[in-house]
Amino acid sequence: MAERKVTVTSEVGLHARPAATFVQTAAKAPFDVMIAKVDGPPVNAKSILAVLSLDVEQGDFIVVSAEGEGADELLDQLVEIVSAP
Amino acid sequence: MTTVLAPVAGAAIGLAAVSDLVFSQGMVGPGMAIDPERRSGAAVAPITGTIVKLHPHAYIVVGDDGKGVLVHLGIDTVQLRGEGFALLAAEGDRVLAGQPVVAWDPAAVEAGGRSPVCPVVALDAEDGMVGEVAEGRVGAGDPLFQWA
Repeated sequence: MAERKVTVTSEVGLHARPAATFVQTAAKAPFDVMIAKVDGPPVNAKSILAVLSLDVEQGDFIVVSAEGEGADELLDQLVEIVSAP
Repeated sequence: MTTVLAPVAGAAIGLAAVSDLVFSQGMVGPGMAIDPERRSGAAVAPITGTIVKLHPHAYIVVGDDGKGVLVHLGIDTVQLRGEGFALLAAEGDRVLAGQPVVAWDPAAVEAGGRSPVCPVVALDAEDGMVGEVAEGRVGAGDPLFQWA
């Protein structure tokens, strides 16, 4: 299981464009991708409903995880999306 | 099949006509938008279900079958930080389709330099799953599209 812990710096948090881009990127993976707030239950990172409902704000600490070939590369891409200004 | 209702009264337009690319390019999902009548009123629940997320400018209702519909009141209205919006329900509430959720004034949003157009999006739906879209003027609570 590959995992990244990151503080969301995107100004709008994980809403609007960052949320849509995040989900579209995760959805390309052939394996499960999960996202969680710290201490919260993980939800499906490929679901825009799940990600918007998670309500990630700027400054929130999140955990993204995946397992499979290419998981590290994918998680790096996802971290880049939530780390954009 | 879920009938998704118009959350506000106005002209039913395609998502492609929305000024925000996130919606017009279908990045959030398929659906429709409404160019609202410029008078204050209540935006209503598009389907029967639970309000899983409630912001002043946007809300998501999830039906018993797990289908979630996003209603976004105007474009870039997150920047208003709730000013001009009044919550008529609470997050976690069960609502009936057509029940008031947020009071707002599209004319005030427009006067502030933002588009009051309201995207109504079928979350996690494939493009082909949305059909029978309304055309022309719709009232709040009128059918807007069908979600297979």
